[in-house]
Amino acid sequence: MKVTYNWLKEYVNIPLSPEELAEKLTKCGFEVEEIVHQDKFLHDVVVGKILKIEKHPQADRLVVCQVDIGDKTTQIITAATNVFEGAIIPVSLPGAKLINGISIQPTKMRGVESNGMFCSGQELGIDDNYFEGAGVDGILILPQTMKVGAPIAKALMLDDVMMDIYVTPNRPDCLSVIGLAREVAAIMGEQVKKVNLSYPIDIYSKDTIHDYIEVNNLTDNCPRYCMGAVKNVKIEKSPLWMRARLNAVGIKPINTIVDITNYVLVEMGQPLHAFDQSLICGKEINVRQAEKGECIEVLNGNTYQLDKSDIVIADNEKPMVIAGIIGGTNSCINDNTKTVVIESAVFDLKSVRTSSRKFGIRTDSSARNEKGINLANAEIGLARALCLVSKLGCGKIVRGTIDKSKKSNDARNIIGSISKINQILGVKVPEKDISRILDSLGITNKIIGDKIECVVPPYREDIENNNDLAEEIIRLYGYDVYEKAEAPLFENSAVTESYVNKRYNLERNFRNELVGNGFFEIMTFTFGGNDFVERLLLKDERAHPIKISNPLGENFAYMRTSMASSILQTANYNLSVGNKELRLFECGKVYLAKEQPLQNLPVEEEMLCMFVSENDFDFFNFKGIVENLLAIKGDIRLERTSEPYLHPGISADIFINNEKVGSFGKLHPLVIKNYELPANSYYGELNINILLNMNDKKVVFNQVSKYPNVARDIAVIVDENVEAGKMLESIKSACGQLYFDASIFDVYRNESLGENKKSLAFNIILSDVNKTLTDEDINKVMKKVLKSLEYKFGAILR
Amino acid sequence: MEKELLMIKEEVAELVNKAVDKKALNELKVYFLGKTGKLTNLLKGMKDVPAQDKPRIGALVNEVRKFVESTFLSKEECFAQKELDEKLNNEKVDITLPSKNMKKGALHPVTSMTDRLVDICVNLGFTVVDGPEIESDYYNFEAVNTPKSHPARDMQDSFYFTENILLRTQTTAVQARAMESMKPPFKIVVPGKTYRNDSDATHSPMFNQLEGLVVDENVSMADLKNMLSIMMKRLFGEDTLIRFRPSYFPFTEPSIEVDVSCPQCHGKGCKLCKDTGYLELLGAGVVNPKVLDYNGIDSKKYKGFAFGIGIDRASMLFTNNTDMRSLFKNDIRFLKQGR
Repeated sequence: MKVTYNWLKEYVNIPLSPEELAEKLTKCGFEVEEIVHQDKFLHDVVVGKILKIEKHPQADRLVVCQVDIGDKTTQIITAATNVFEGAIIPVSLPGAKLINGISIQPTKMRGVESNGMFCSGQELGIDDNYFEGAGVDGILILPQTMKVGAPIAKALMLDDVMMDIYVTPNRPDCLSVIGLAREVAAIMGEQVKKVNLSYPIDIYSKDTIHDYIEVNNLTDNCPRYCMGAVKNVKIEKSPLWMRARLNAVGIKPINTIVDITNYVLVEMGQPLHAFDQSLICGKEINVRQAEKGECIEVLNGNTYQLDKSDIVIADNEKPMVIAGIIGGTNSCINDNTKTVVIESAVFDLKSVRTSSRKFGIRTDSSARNEKGINLANAEIGLARALCLVSKLGCGKIVRGTIDKSKKSNDARNIIGSISKINQILGVKVPEKDISRILDSLGITNKIIGDKIECVVPPYREDIENNNDLAEEIIRLYGYDVYEKAEAPLFENSAVTESYVNKRYNLERNFRNELVGNGFFEIMTFTFGGNDFVERLLLKDERAHPIKISNPLGENFAYMRTSMASSILQTANYNLSVGNKELRLFECGKVYLAKEQPLQNLPVEEEMLCMFVSENDFDFFNFKGIVENLLAIKGDIRLERTSEPYLHPGISADIFINNEKVGSFGKLHPLVIKNYELPANSYYGELNINILLNMNDKKVVFNQVSKYPNVARDIAVIVDENVEAGKMLESIKSACGQLYFDASIFDVYRNESLGENKKSLAFNIILSDVNKTLTDEDINKVMKKVLKSLEYKFGAILR
Repeated sequence: MEKELLMIKEEVAELVNKAVDKKALNELKVYFLGKTGKLTNLLKGMKDVPAQDKPRIGALVNEVRKFVESTFLSKEECFAQKELDEKLNNEKVDITLPSKNMKKGALHPVTSMTDRLVDICVNLGFTVVDGPEIESDYYNFEAVNTPKSHPARDMQDSFYFTENILLRTQTTAVQARAMESMKPPFKIVVPGKTYRNDSDATHSPMFNQLEGLVVDENVSMADLKNMLSIMMKRLFGEDTLIRFRPSYFPFTEPSIEVDVSCPQCHGKGCKLCKDTGYLELLGAGVVNPKVLDYNGIDSKKYKGFAFGIGIDRASMLFTNNTDMRSLFKNDIRFLKQGR
């Protein structure tokens, strides 16, 4: 909300600088986001009068001027052609720093002294809308009435200070100068001055408002609609003081009537709309829901097609305004306007919000209407507008106003509790301060015992209960009070259980272990383009990602269905900037719709994904990483995977207790190509949700035998397609009680072994808890092992 | 003989001391102690010593022998030590050469900060709770006092899938879920991803929040202050101060913004805090009784407070990182610094 310092001062005494005021406002909940001194670039610029113009002795295009700048006469050289003796002009003197970056210094031009520069409107930061003549290509010629020597900021009323104040959504009453003035008054302990709402009417004329306009047909979405009429209207530039204020708050001055409506909008927070009465067909106003398909061309130049959910202000033929949002071109104020009717109304905020969003139109009016306007404001806003019409003398005010559905919200009674308020705050605010603060906010109150009876003004619809009262009290009492408050933590609270949930714990274990293994954790956007479906060769449900209906762009529109899409893209990025030898991982979610379009919340699977691209890395390195990660859950079993993005021969699904918990392996060559990755790239993922449903492995410590272990190596020849893992299982069961450990220490292939044959060498460790093993014991077991390998796998001892 | 013994003692002392290496020492040893060594030979004459002198000479012999042996031993030890020293010196490595182990990776800075915050909260009696990222309008807005067309919806532009399903804009969405399923008193903390339709140097469409909620019979704004003060001290150091500023959130009343004294200049004013000495880091407040009642918790009996912290921003402050976008680019050269 942009206001000016002087505008606020019109309604409340402020013995503070704008900066000091800003600090106070911020401390009380109205953050001042920006302060702009209008005269920032106008110091050392004054009103001057050209006394004499002479030709420059050395230059044809230059003239030497003697200029009266109030306290003295100075010499200035100019190349401007529109200056003349007697002209009143803006003069920038040495020391001035203009908005376009020019710094003024005394100088010599072709040997003749020049002590300043005449300014154009542009160099002062103004245009024709603000000041007549400011737009001309040349020096700004000022009216003869301006006082020579006066600072230009004062002469052009550019001496105010704009303050941009953030108003929180619960305080729509402060989207106005008067609302903020009320706050300032409460902060300063001052009184708000009364707004002038009085205006004379044309008593000599018999006509009344009803001779100019009737309002019929009020939709339920318009709880209050007021109108006034002005005849003999003069459409011209509004006075400089009004233009100055509008200009300061960023509104372009246009003409008397339009400026008045904007002025009231800012000052009173009441959006108004002015119609050229002659363009209203049948002199009748209907506030109704739009017909489906109705069209209206509005002041932003666009035409919109309306439907039943939009409110329009229409005459007997056509919609003229999208209510509360923007006016149409068909009935707006123009240079020929003679009679004006002014609307001051309140519309249903939801309805305005919906239409405004639908059309994508945001105006100063809609911004206020959709946050809610107090019903009483409609009447006040209209009166203020008519008062300004009379003040500007830009028309005659017709007798009477129309006020349809004269609803008004009344002041409300609330009974609060002093003890509860203090309980909420946790600090004791003295009763006299509570009472004083509420009073200053216009909340009259009476304390009876613990009770505090409050009468809340209608514009404070946000105040309903003890919490609301507590907030009002503490923000004005000052949150500084907590800086001194030092009480024991949770002094009066129950002890609660601390618990890092299972998901967080498990992921934290995984993360720390992977980091120890050289992996870098990444965090990627969970949405992207849908090209990943093709790039990852996805065919199943993952081929149908959920789409955001209002994404930042098509490349940010689809929720990922596979972690691979994010991590492979990140790998690609890192490789593209020259980072090699990548070990990456991420914990995150994939999103799978149960149905599309969505009716229920989709399934969110928490996943851990890993990517490795290193020269000497292979499937078995990855297997080791996975085994170690999952050791807390138990032994894993691998099966060939059908994940489409993995190499079918060098990848596996991971099973624990016959449940698939993930997969890993070398990436499919096509995927490697699609993501422009090095040939030796590996990807794996674990489903955290499934792992969370599994118990951790029960850890049991058996006693180690006090007798020595015995190790035996055997090498056997088997067919190429025999799986070593199955042989190990067989060895284990053949060893029975004596089994301690078994591992493979060599895989050997050679023509001499026969076609499609390989040799596997096992290291078998035997142990007995009760005795030292004899050769006889050992040979017996080894025979059994060989026999079982021979029987099950056709193994031949080498 | 007595005289000769004493001479040998002196001779040994002198010669052993002069021995230059192990070899010379060995030769000396043979010279004195060998089968035909000087001392050995001398001792052979012991039998000729008169009986009355024997005890005295015997004692002297023992003394000299002990002396000679220990002199040799200590010299040998001295050489051994010297030899070892030389050997160790020769084995010396250049300790500034790079390490050989697999270098460790690093956690993402945001997770790192999440871990810190979660640990702090858990130590204060909080339980970690999760919720869905794709959320219903109900939990994200409606149940936390932000019905449709509430002006506060302007504060957060949402990504929608359908009219009623969206990417959660705040971890506050989990508040209502927790109130439904947990019995007070409870303290929960919710770390997670949140999304808003917003993208520039200081806003990422995906960002991370940590929400805290306490519901109990007797908690107040003062407890909130104490708790946040402890949290921030644990995070940024014991001299950290916090201050409150009034603000507005639909789900808390009163609502506040919490500023933290600048971790870089400790309140003196610097570039990071734009010379204000403080940085805005959290939103918080007393839980709006409407939210409690709406979610089935009796607001006459229970009160609550809640806070939300931008984890990304906290992480950036903690690590002097100035560009939020760098967090989601995942350039290893950037992430390596987190080792």
